[in-house]
Amino acid sequence: MDRRADVRETYDRIATHFASTREYAWPEVESFLERVPADLTGAGTTGLDVGCGNCRHAELLAARVDRTVGLDVSRGLLETGRARALERDFAVDLLQGDAATLPLAAGVVDVAVYVATVHHLPTRESRVTSLDELARVLAPGGRALVSAWSTAHDRFDAEEGFDTTVEWTLPGGETVDRFYHIYSPEEFEADLEESALDVREWELSSGNCYATVGVDEESPT
Amino acid sequence: MKESLLEILCCPLDKHDLELEDAEYDGDEVISGTLVCSECGERYAIEDGIPNLLPPDMREETPA
Repeated sequence: MDRRADVRETYDRIATHFASTREYAWPEVESFLERVPADLTGAGTTGLDVGCGNCRHAELLAARVDRTVGLDVSRGLLETGRARALERDFAVDLLQGDAATLPLAAGVVDVAVYVATVHHLPTRESRVTSLDELARVLAPGGRALVSAWSTAHDRFDAEEGFDTTVEWTLPGGETVDRFYHIYSPEEFEADLEESALDVREWELSSGNCYATVGVDEESPT
Repeated sequence: MKESLLEILCCPLDKHDLELEDAEYDGDEVISGTLVCSECGERYAIEDGIPNLLPPDMREETPA
């Protein structure tokens, strides 16, 4: 079976417990959103969280843009996102979908976050395709934050990127494997370069690679 | 889902517009129905208010 479907099944199994451990937004996402140009927020704008999980980052988007879309491969995680939106009274339109085949029209998204998700796609081809898909849905002048787990994290002892599985331990002690591609910083940069996205800023933070990206308003080469 | 979301949705496979069929509403929320691609005819179910727009080969019911 396709590993992308495996990722969906894995997160469906662990959704409730996983979401309960993902209460707080990442400071890097807050910082990105604080620096988004003002014309990308407010009336008539659209935000997108790809791999939204429990919607902790969609919640931050919803405070800034007119319409917030949360997309995730796992129906179980989307249900946790719906519960959070009800509890905290923010509006999010939820979609079950695949990051490498986004079900959104071209150029409709002003601000996007695609954090801690691309590393779950099983092949380089699918990861670069997902970055191309993000470029396709971004409006000219739009901004997105992309992050992936990196070899720079303390728990890894590798110079080059590699595929692995990382166990998730459920409360009963049962473990569930999750696929990851751990990026070397150089490789992350190379995949972005290969894609239709334009990199504006780049940093390593807390063992993750982060890139602020957009699409040039000039016609792409 | 809100019907206005159709403005920005498309078929994940060929990116053509989707049309809403057999919609059931709760206020302004579409709680069930089917999104049908105007080009390839692929059908995507709206289940308890959330559209399943996974490509067909990633859906749960697809045999391995």
